[in-house]
Amino acid sequence: MLSVKSMPTMKRVPVKARRKALVVALALALLSLACGCGKSTSAGGRYSGRVRVSGSTTLLPLIQEASIEFMDANPRTKVDVQGGGSSVGITQLKSGIVNIANSSRELKGDETGWGLVDHKIAFDIIAIIVNPNVPVRNLASDQVKAIFTGEVRNWKTLGGPDEEIVVVVRDQASGTREMFDEKALGSTKDRPVESEPSAIECSSNGVVRETVANTKNSIGYLSYGFINRYVRAVKVNNVPPDVGNATVGRYPMARWLHMFTKGQPSGAAKGFIDFVLSERFQNEVVSQEYIPVRDVLKQ
Amino acid sequence: MSVRNGGAAGALGAKGAAFADREYWVRLVMFACAAISILAILVIFLFIFRESLPAIRDVGIGNLFFSTNYNPQTGHYGMLGFIWGTLLTTFGAMVLGAPLGIGTAIFLDQIAPERTAQVVRRGIELLAGIPSVVIGWFGLILLVPFLARVTGTAGYGVFAAVLVLVVMALPTITTLSAETMKSLPQELKEASAAMGATRWQTIYKVLLPSARDGLLIAVILGMGRAIGETMAVQMVIGNSRAITFSLFGRTSTLTTRIVTDMAEAPPGDHRSALFAMALVLLLLAMLLILIIRFVSRERKLAA
Repeated sequence: MLSVKSMPTMKRVPVKARRKALVVALALALLSLACGCGKSTSAGGRYSGRVRVSGSTTLLPLIQEASIEFMDANPRTKVDVQGGGSSVGITQLKSGIVNIANSSRELKGDETGWGLVDHKIAFDIIAIIVNPNVPVRNLASDQVKAIFTGEVRNWKTLGGPDEEIVVVVRDQASGTREMFDEKALGSTKDRPVESEPSAIECSSNGVVRETVANTKNSIGYLSYGFINRYVRAVKVNNVPPDVGNATVGRYPMARWLHMFTKGQPSGAAKGFIDFVLSERFQNEVVSQEYIPVRDVLKQ
Repeated sequence: MSVRNGGAAGALGAKGAAFADREYWVRLVMFACAAISILAILVIFLFIFRESLPAIRDVGIGNLFFSTNYNPQTGHYGMLGFIWGTLLTTFGAMVLGAPLGIGTAIFLDQIAPERTAQVVRRGIELLAGIPSVVIGWFGLILLVPFLARVTGTAGYGVFAAVLVLVVMALPTITTLSAETMKSLPQELKEASAAMGATRWQTIYKVLLPSARDGLLIAVILGMGRAIGETMAVQMVIGNSRAITFSLFGRTSTLTTRIVTDMAEAPPGDHRSALFAMALVLLLLAMLLILIIRFVSRERKLAA
């Protein structure tokens, strides 16, 4: 009732003033439109056209980020990024459904004969970390497997205190976990090896680091770039996790992340791969989670 | 409706017509507001149901809802362990929270001097206003290390989650219980006192039984708060995929499992299974509302 009574006062704006406001609003709208047009024609970027990308879910967040920035710089391009997994991407690339396949593994089997061109876009090392209260500095690879599968549950047998081991792993869908299970636990598609069921699951590298840093007697794994002084990386078979050891294969848990194309890429697809490999994107975005390509090649 | 109103207003002249017109619009806007919330719940329900269908179809109802084997890498999506985790933490929180909340309500209504009651009431309101992530963080930094020291486990687990949930559900239980106690007729207390009953006897034998249904509703609404809580619980429960029967075991609830796996779950059965968990949560919430409706109708019938 009250609102109805007070309403007429709201409408009592002089007609002249209203018309003026309308004119100003229209002018502003036109101006912004003009600016928008000018921008898209002058800063149109070098590339145009459509790029379809699919594959690894590990790489999905990174490539999505790249696609947004690339389309901002090249408004006449449209980059579609889909997940599906490395194998799906490679198959779709072969049949021409996509222009680029993201992959967190090398080509294998028949795939090597399909004439696909490899573009390495980042390097990933998985380090095993412990809470600083754990005195263990080195683990043999079979000890790593025993810990993460729950066969060994006490630090005492590994030269530590008589305390229960708290295992910290990544979430079920994580590509990091997939690689760890494969390379450290020997898991394969046909014979999957599961990590211990009561392990604490964390949804990102950052959460793994915080959890291990704050939980006594804990052990976990994360991408090398996330190690800080609140957690301690342990050696595996006496080899410390670093770029030098990983590139020559002395440190086992490392991999290249790839983009594959069918033959040499051209047009917008080439532009997109160049963008991902550009110094700025490598140093500012890729380096947040992985090791930039140049840093590996320098070694 | 509007046409009739407009016609009637026409007799009142132009000004009257403008008012009637405006009233029509106001009514329309209010109706739209109400319609939006109904629409929202409908869309949410249909969406969640549709998204969970692939998992129900591919995994099967038995393997999805009644299995404790959760391991997406091998195509196992059994959520029973997480349903159990949700129920365990929620009931645990009520076992501790209900006496605490109802006790506080009795204290506020029957025992505390007005000045003290004011202070306690403000404190509880403040507690209700603390964001869950803050309570969870508090739990992670203080509670988990404390439990780790006392119990010799990692500290993460069901009990830490229960304690966090008690803090979150306490304001709901206390406020609603206090309202119920206050709404009891003054005559009840006076009659009881006239019979020579002590204050304790009055509370125990007269007030609590008459307030029973209201207190039950307070506790059920507190449960609703506990079932849905995600952030605070995720930070302290340990997020493991194992089912646990120990108070200090690590496990997951439905909500924490959704939020842990959501970020990287690829489209397909895994993602769909997470939606199926959301569906179970929705059904649990509906069940609680049904119970409340049932309890309040019983009360009305009794009165």
